Amino acid sequence: MTLATLWRLARRDLSARIRGLRLLAVCLFLGVATLAAIGSLTRGITEELENRGQTVLGGDLQIAIAQRVASDAELAAFAREGALSQTVRLRAMAVSGDGARNVLAELKAVDAAYPLYGAFTLADGRAVSAPPPGQIYVSPSLVDKFGIDPAAKDVEVRFGTARLRVAGVIAGEPDRLGEGFALGPVAVINLKSLGDTALIQPGSLFESKYRLKLPASADPVAVAERLKSAFPDGGWEVTDRSNGAPGTRRFIERMGQFLTLVGLASLVIAGIGVGNGVSSYLEGKRAGIATLKVLGADSGSIFRIYVMQILAVAASAVIAGLVVGAVAPMAITALAGDVLPVQPGFAIHPAPLATSAAYGLLITLAFALPPLARTRHVPAAGLLRAVFDRGGRIDVPTAAAVVIAIAAVVALAAYSAREPLFSLGFMAAAAGLLALLTLIAWGIRLGAARLPRPKAPLLRLALTNLHRPGAQTGALVVALGLGLTLFVTMATIQTSLTNEIRSTVPARAPSFFVLDIPQVERDRFTALVKSKAPDATINMIPALRGSVTAFGGQRVADLTTLPEGAWVLRGDRGLTYSGALPRGSTVTAGAWWPTNYSGPPLVSLEEDVAASLSVGVGDSIAVNVLGVEVEAKIASLRRVEWDNFGLNYVIVFAPGAIDKAPHNMVATLTVPLASEAALGRAIPPAFPSSSMIEVRDVVSQITTLLTQMARAIAAAASIAILAGIAVLVGAIAASRARRVYDSVILKLLGSTRAQILGAQAIEYALLSAVLALLALGLGMGAGWYVITQLFDFDFAPDMVVVLATLFGGAAITFVFGMASSLPILAAKPAAALRSL
Amino acid sequence: MAITARNVMLTLGQSSSPVEILRDVDLSVAEGESVALLGPSGSGKSSLMAVLAGLERAQGGSIMVGGLDFAAMDEDALARARRGRIGIVLQAFHLLPTMTALENVAVPMELAGFTDAFDRAKVELEAVGLGHRTGHYPSQLSGGEQQRVAIARAIAAGPKVIFADEPTGNLDGTTGDAIIDLLFARRAALGATLLIITHDPALAKRCDRVVTMRDGKVVGA
Repeated sequence: MTLATLWRLARRDLSARIRGLRLLAVCLFLGVATLAAIGSLTRGITEELENRGQTVLGGDLQIAIAQRVASDAELAAFAREGALSQTVRLRAMAVSGDGARNVLAELKAVDAAYPLYGAFTLADGRAVSAPPPGQIYVSPSLVDKFGIDPAAKDVEVRFGTARLRVAGVIAGEPDRLGEGFALGPVAVINLKSLGDTALIQPGSLFESKYRLKLPASADPVAVAERLKSAFPDGGWEVTDRSNGAPGTRRFIERMGQFLTLVGLASLVIAGIGVGNGVSSYLEGKRAGIATLKVLGADSGSIFRIYVMQILAVAASAVIAGLVVGAVAPMAITALAGDVLPVQPGFAIHPAPLATSAAYGLLITLAFALPPLARTRHVPAAGLLRAVFDRGGRIDVPTAAAVVIAIAAVVALAAYSAREPLFSLGFMAAAAGLLALLTLIAWGIRLGAARLPRPKAPLLRLALTNLHRPGAQTGALVVALGLGLTLFVTMATIQTSLTNEIRSTVPARAPSFFVLDIPQVERDRFTALVKSKAPDATINMIPALRGSVTAFGGQRVADLTTLPEGAWVLRGDRGLTYSGALPRGSTVTAGAWWPTNYSGPPLVSLEEDVAASLSVGVGDSIAVNVLGVEVEAKIASLRRVEWDNFGLNYVIVFAPGAIDKAPHNMVATLTVPLASEAALGRAIPPAFPSSSMIEVRDVVSQITTLLTQMARAIAAAASIAILAGIAVLVGAIAASRARRVYDSVILKLLGSTRAQILGAQAIEYALLSAVLALLALGLGMGAGWYVITQLFDFDFAPDMVVVLATLFGGAAITFVFGMASSLPILAAKPAAALRSL
Repeated sequence: MAITARNVMLTLGQSSSPVEILRDVDLSVAEGESVALLGPSGSGKSSLMAVLAGLERAQGGSIMVGGLDFAAMDEDALARARRGRIGIVLQAFHLLPTMTALENVAVPMELAGFTDAFDRAKVELEAVGLGHRTGHYPSQLSGGEQQRVAIARAIAAGPKVIFADEPTGNLDGTTGDAIIDLLFARRAALGATLLIITHDPALAKRCDRVVTMRDGKVVGA
C-alpha cells in the first residue's frame, strides 16, 4: 500500500478523533517548551556576554595583576600592542564627609583613557571618563546610604586619607559585569587621586587591570601569548574579549545545565503521559483496527497508519512548544530582568531549539513505540466474538528502536552538558526512580490481587480497581509518586536553605571581616577592638595573594585544559602562613609542622584541592607571590570546615616561605550584637586603609542569590509537577470507560453517587497513603543530595513544612483525581447502557 | 470461488485450560453456492466463519479458498488474500466511527489499491439506496442504514465470496427482511459464493443448502 493511501487513512481517522491525543500533545508541549525556554535563555545570556565581550571586559585584552602595579617594562610592552587603559580596584571603607556614616565600597580608580569600549554614564546623562582629580562619581546606593543630595555642591566622601568631592551619580558602568561580585556600592575616582587615599601600601589587597584596545587585525589570543612569553613570571591573569565575565558565564552555564536536567526530567515524566495517552488512544481504536484488518489491512499498514497519526500530533506539539520556548526569554526578561546578569535581546537560537525538538521526538518514539507495536497483535477475529487477547509482545525491531531512542536521549544529554558525568548521574537517578515506581505499581497490583476480598462491596470495588485488567495503577503510581516526591524534594531544599541561612550561619559566623590591617598595627587594632568590645574573639592571620604556577612537576602554563574541579588554578588565590594548625582544620594526611618551623618551604593543601590536582604529601607546588615564584613541598593535607564563615585558606605555608613578601593582616571579629554598632563606628576612622565587611550584609546578599536560584529551580520543577498532573488526569481519563461501566451497573443495583465516589476516594486514598510514605523517603533523599553534595550545606529540613507540603500535595492530587471522576457520576444509566 | 475445509481444528484459551472450539470440521461450498450455517449459540458457527474468512488461524486441518491454501498463510498474508476477494458483513455492522459512509465503503478498495475506490463506493452506496447519505457518519445513521453501508462495503470491491454473520441480528423484522433482500440481490449480481450464519429458518430456506453445527462439529449438511 502506498504511503499516500496510508496517510489519507491516518488523516481521515485523526481529524475525527484528535481529542484522544490531547494528553500526548499537552505533555510534549510542556516538556519541549520548558527545555526550549531554558536553552534559549541560557544561550541568549551567554551570547550577549560574548557580543558585549569588549565592553564587559573593558577592552580586547585585559591583564590583571594582584597587589602591584605593572612595571615600566610591562607598561611599555602593553602600550606597544594597542591603546592602553589602566584601572585599580580595591575594597575600602567609604566615610561620609561628616564622618557620621561609613560603608564598605568598591573603589575603582581609572585613567583618562577609560572606558576603551562602551560608555561610562552619569545620572544627568553625561558620558564621561575619569573624574577630575579630587572628585568622585558614586553609585546610587552610596547616595542612599549616605543620604547625599546629588544636586548639592561640595558634598564630600572620604576614602582613606583623601576627601573627594561628589561630582556625579553613576548610571552605567560599562565593565560592571567583568568586575565580578561587588560587596558594596561602587565609587570611581581618578587614578591620580589614588595616591591621596594612602590605601595602596605594600601588601594591600588591590588589583591592577590593564585593558588594551587592539588594532582590528590583531588576534587577542596571539597578543596574550606574546606578552606572556615576554614576561613568563608576571603572575598575570590574562582574559580576552571572548570571555569577558568568566565567572558569570560559568554560573549561567551551570545553572542552565541544571535547569535543563530538571526540564529533561519533566520531559521524561511527560513521556509516561505520552505512552499512556497513546495506549488509551489505541485502546479506543481496537474495534477500528480489527475492522481495518477484516477489510484487508496488514499489521504493517496498521502500524504505519498509527505511527503517522502519533508523529503528526507530536510534531504539532513540538512546534508549539518550540514557539513558546523561543519567545519565553522575552517574557522572562520582561518579568525578571533585574535578576539576570544581562538582558538578552530577542533572537532565535537554533541550537537549543533543535536540541529540544530532538528530545521531544526521541521521547515520543521511546514511549509511544511499545503501545504502537501492540496494534500489530489486535486480532481481526475480535469483531466476531470476545477473543483471548494475545497482545503484549513487542517485536525485536521495535524493542531495538526504543533502545536506540533512549540511548540517543542519554547521548544528547551527555554531549550537550558541561559536566557529562553529572548529567548521566542525574539521568540514572531519574531512571532509577521510574523503575522503582514501576516496581511498586507492580507490587500494589499483586498485593491487591492477593489480599482477601473485603466484605464491603465498595471497598472490594476499590481494591479490585487496582488490579483489574486494564487498570491504570501503573500510570497513577508513577504520576502520583513523582509529583509527591518532587513536592517533598522542593520543601526539603527550601527549608534546609532557609534554616542554614537564618539560624545556623549567624550563630557560628563572626560579626565582621576586617581586611588590610597593616602588619605593624596589629597590636593597636587588637587594643581598639578590646576597648570597644571586651568579649570580642579576634582571629587575625596574614593575607597574601598568589597564583599557582606549577604542581607535581607540571607547569600550569603548559596545560591546555584545567583538570576537573581544579578551580584553584584559575587566577589569584588567597594565601597565608601559619605556625599552628588553623582553626576549623583537621590534618588528614602527612603531619603539621612544628610551630617554630624554620626549614625549607613547606605547604599544606586542602584535601579536595589536592585531589583535583592529583598531588599528595611529598609532591611540590609552586606559587607566584608578587612576581616571585615560591616552590614548596606538600607536608600535609587538611579537611576544612568552610561553612562557618571563619578564616581559612586552601593553601597554607609554613613560616619562612612567604612571610618576607609585603602583606597585611586579615581578621574576623566575633562580638555580641550590642557591640557591633560601636565597633562599626570606631574602626574605619582609626584604620582608614582597612576594609570592614559586615557579615550580616554578605549573608543577606547570599540569601538573595540563593533565593533567586531556588526560585528558578522551583519554576522548572513546577513544570515537572504540571506534567505529573497531566499524566495523572490522563491516567484517570484512560480508565474512564471502564469506570463509567462500573458506575452504571452500581447505579442499576441501587448505589448512590456518594457511594460510588466513596469507592474512588478509597482507591486514591490507598494509593496516596502508600506513595506519600515513599515520596517522603525519596524526596528527602534527593533533597539531602542537593543540599549536602551540591550546595555543601548542612541538611536541616523543617519537617513540619515538609510534611505539610506532602499532605498538601497529596490533597491537591486527590482533589484532581476526584474532580476527574465527577463526569463518570454524571453518566445516565439508560444512555450509557446503549453505548456500552 | 469454492471453499473446502478438511479436519479443521481450533482450540483457544491458555494451555492450562484449553477450549476446543472446532473439532474435525469438514465443509465444502461450491463456487456460486449459497449456504446457511445454523446451530445453537456456542456451536462454533462464528469461529468456523472466522477460520474460512482468514480472520483466525486454525491449529489443524486444511482450508482452501479459491485455490489459496489459507492454512499455510500468516495473518498478514491472509489480510492481503481477503482484499478484493472476500466481503464480510457482521451482526454489529462495525463501521469505522471516524469515517463517513462513503469513506467506510471506500476503505477496503483503498487498501486493495483501487484507484477508483471512491467512485465505486458511491455507485455501491446508490445501489443500496444510500446515495443521499454518503457524507454521514455511522452515528448519524439508523441501524438498518448502517447495515446497508456494511453490505455496500463488503460488496463494492466485487468479491467472489461473501461471509455474513447474523446480518439481521441487530435489526427489526421489516428492516431485516429488506437487508436480506438487498444482500441476496447484490450477491446474485456478482455471482458470488455466500456463507451466511443465521438463527432464522426462513432465511436459511432462501439458501441453496443448510449446514448445521453443534459442539464444534458439522452435524448436518
